[in-house]
Amino acid sequence: MSVTTDSAPPPVQNPRARRPTRRAPGPLGFIWSSTVMAWRWITRMRTALYLLGIIALQTALATAIPQEPNVPTTVAAWRAGEEGPGVIASQVIDAIGGFDVYGSAAFLALLLLLYLSLTACMVPRVRAWIRLVRHSQPPLVRHLTGQPEQAHLVTDRQPAQVHAQAQQLLQGRRWRLRPHEPDDAATHPVADGGLATRPTPAQVAAEKGLWSREGGSLLFHLSFYVLLIAIVLGQLLTFEGQRGVIEGEPGFHDTAISYWSYNPGRWFSEDDHHGWRLDLDAFEVDWVRDPLAPGAGQPTVFRSEVTVTPRDGEPEAAVIDSNRPLMIDGRRVTQLDWGYAPRVVVEVDGQVVHDGFIQAVVNQRGGFFESAVKSPAADPDIGHRAWFYPFAPPDEDGNPIPTGAPWDDAPLLVLEQWRGDLQLGASQQTVNQLDTEGMESEGPLALRVGQTVEHEGVTVSFPEVRRWVGFQVASRPQLNWLVFGAGLLVAGLIPALYAYRRRLWVVASHDHATGRTLVTVAGRAFQRPEAFEEELRDIAEELADATGGELLPADGIPTTDDPASDDAPRPTPDGDDATTDRRDPDDDDDDLVISDRRSDVLPTPVRSGSSPTR
Amino acid sequence: MDASQLADLSRVLYFPTTVMLYLASAFTYLYALTTTVGRRDEQRRGHRARLIGGALAITGIGTHVAHEIVRGLAQNRLPLGNMFEVTSLMALVGVVVGLVYLQFIRKQPELHGFVMLGGSLVLGMAMLVYADPGPLMPILDTWWRTFHVSLLVGAMGIFTAAFIFMGLYLLRDTAELAVADARVRPGGGSTVGAAHVGDLEVDGATTPGSADGDDELERAQAAEYRAALRAGVPTVKLAVWTFVVTGSVSWVWWFADGWGTAGLGRFLTVNLTMVAAALLARWFVPYLPSTATLDGLAHRTVAFGFVMWTVGTIAGAMWAEVSWGRFWGWDPKETGAFLTWIAYAGYLHARATRGVQGRKAAWIGIGAFVVLMATYLIANYVIVGLHSYAEL
Repeated sequence: MSVTTDSAPPPVQNPRARRPTRRAPGPLGFIWSSTVMAWRWITRMRTALYLLGIIALQTALATAIPQEPNVPTTVAAWRAGEEGPGVIASQVIDAIGGFDVYGSAAFLALLLLLYLSLTACMVPRVRAWIRLVRHSQPPLVRHLTGQPEQAHLVTDRQPAQVHAQAQQLLQGRRWRLRPHEPDDAATHPVADGGLATRPTPAQVAAEKGLWSREGGSLLFHLSFYVLLIAIVLGQLLTFEGQRGVIEGEPGFHDTAISYWSYNPGRWFSEDDHHGWRLDLDAFEVDWVRDPLAPGAGQPTVFRSEVTVTPRDGEPEAAVIDSNRPLMIDGRRVTQLDWGYAPRVVVEVDGQVVHDGFIQAVVNQRGGFFESAVKSPAADPDIGHRAWFYPFAPPDEDGNPIPTGAPWDDAPLLVLEQWRGDLQLGASQQTVNQLDTEGMESEGPLALRVGQTVEHEGVTVSFPEVRRWVGFQVASRPQLNWLVFGAGLLVAGLIPALYAYRRRLWVVASHDHATGRTLVTVAGRAFQRPEAFEEELRDIAEELADATGGELLPADGIPTTDDPASDDAPRPTPDGDDATTDRRDPDDDDDDLVISDRRSDVLPTPVRSGSSPTR
Repeated sequence: MDASQLADLSRVLYFPTTVMLYLASAFTYLYALTTTVGRRDEQRRGHRARLIGGALAITGIGTHVAHEIVRGLAQNRLPLGNMFEVTSLMALVGVVVGLVYLQFIRKQPELHGFVMLGGSLVLGMAMLVYADPGPLMPILDTWWRTFHVSLLVGAMGIFTAAFIFMGLYLLRDTAELAVADARVRPGGGSTVGAAHVGDLEVDGATTPGSADGDDELERAQAAEYRAALRAGVPTVKLAVWTFVVTGSVSWVWWFADGWGTAGLGRFLTVNLTMVAAALLARWFVPYLPSTATLDGLAHRTVAFGFVMWTVGTIAGAMWAEVSWGRFWGWDPKETGAFLTWIAYAGYLHARATRGVQGRKAAWIGIGAFVVLMATYLIANYVIVGLHSYAEL
């Protein structure tokens, strides 16, 4: 028999088998390998962290920069350079989509990447979890000495009885069990080397928290898909309309044309309106009026009394409060806004050119309400800029003193008259603003309720003041799904953080020296080991009580186990430890592994190299 | 008693009573911490000091609760309506949860002093935004608000406790690394086993009663090790960094004052107080528990706060749908809550990622707390949105 040495020629087949198939990658190969690299990059946990970081940065940007969908006027002021950092900075912000971060392409692309990364992480994890739930069972042990937590007790019961008792006990504590009673034939297998392997002892193997922790984490992450779908579908199916209504004046119908601001989703059709009618009977608002009382000036009530008339039905009275919106046929009606509505009558040469309520909107800085009166029926056009001071009591001389108070105990209407071209239809303007481009001012006039004033050939009267309320009508069919998604999120989050993974074994064996039964309860905690210490001691004590045995002190442990056994729990061939012992990435193991520096001194389960990264 | 007398009473209960009790308790506890390595009689004195500290803390919590109740009676509503009330309750939750958690669940009572110190700092911050009791806007007068705000305020208190643990962890870790470095470098630059050398010393230095209290040699060695640990944290660097990190939040006060001198005074007060607290904590570095314990504490508290923050934010969205007619509108405060949520989610994920654990994760956690405080202040002072209640 010749001995093969290093100098011997290699077997003939070797070179052919080893020859590298190295060809220049064609364009397809290049694309393929790039795709594989990109996929690998996107499935990394670190990438997900970076993506989250970038989204956080964008969100920070959105906190610092006014957002167009929220405060369009402020954004307009920034763009015009009236506020904020200036025109050039605003142009830079515009270029990167900073005024509408959540509608910008960059945000959507990032969201797409994040969901892609999430999906890439979820697919293998869900598969591994299903495999875990369907096939895994608690692994059996041969040696207990390696387990970090141990308790020992002696009893006079038979080992089989102790095992049955332990099963019952652990079942009550909701552990997953795997009893193991080897039959005699399997007890002494003889390996081919002639050495007897140590048999797997009779035992009760149990584990807890393995499904629920990972399952909770999966549920938490999967809930984001529910939320995403609900939000996307919501964008398509939703509808939101706004409309102002004056007390006692005709209200509006739920039809597409009657809303002043109308934002339907793409899939919301005009036929989906129900056609009911809403009228405002009264709007109640009040404040803390005593200037010395605590919280002076704060509002105390906002309440609308309305009448709702279904398309074919009887009118019904209802109340809309600030925290109690009204539901009409699945539409939610909320109060968004309110203001005073002075009635202004304008007459020129005995001809009424304007008679109606104007809706005065509160000034941004508070204190007074602003609006405009437009009388295009006059020739030339007459316009009035209007300032409404709700509380302007007269001083000793009878001159009104405007205060900032919002209650209408001494209302004063100040008008500035303009004459010329209102440019209705020619320029973009709102109902509440006068475009004075083509007009000339004719000076101010002030009116109390019930007064009539003649000014520059125009008779203006102010017969009464009412209030108006801006209602929002919204249909959001996605809400239930959002609540469902949020529920899933929380339901997954709690076990993902608070289900601790533990393994435990109860091994009872006959001690020939004393004739009694020696029971070892041993276990391992993957999270919060210091809490497990107590739990294991509890279980051992209960088992001792149930079997009429006594707990041995921690230092007087008889060593019946093989002293040479190694530290790791040795899985038996039939225990599929390869799948169950894989450490999942959400694992915090706060006290087992703290940082790389210290991990070598503490017992840690082996990480599988192919485990998913999140 | 009428409302104004009740208001006066609540103010006195808050300051000086509660603030002083918290501070006294913090310093008593911290003194007790230094005696754990002393001789027997010192340890006995330390034990007595701990009892006194506990009594002071419980009295302080009692007066704090009394303050909240009296304030609630004075204004006839739950004291959760403005920035002062929110910050004050945040301190109360942080202190109570921190003490109960350390005492009964973690059994690490030596950290009580730092929790009380943190509570005093938050109380002091609340005094910067003190407001007299008053009624509530009707839109806020609903159980939704109670639910939403209490959860978020509770989460803020818990995040504050987590922030303290993370800061202490970083200090202790820096000190241990420096000591390990110094021991190994003369031997040839290898760091293998460095941590173990330190670990062995730590046991002798911090476990009370493990060494015979009267063994002069051992005590001298332990004292030397303590000094080395303390020297491992560079003072100037710590002060500058604390100033910079605090400044990244506290500029808001200066800004809110239009960059005036009063605002500058506030800015400097907050920053220098934090620097003083950091230097105080540095002095106590040798008496801290192990880095593993501190890191675990930080992680568990963040996890708890994160659940509360999540539920509180969802509750806020539900309330917004009821009250404002939309569940999410990217209002500055909503954006801030979302940003904070992402930051703490980033911390929890970092803990699960290999290579980002330990120090890096702790820094992410510190950053998350900065985000929390910054969005809290910015959304109230700088950008006026639907949630601004600084003026109330």
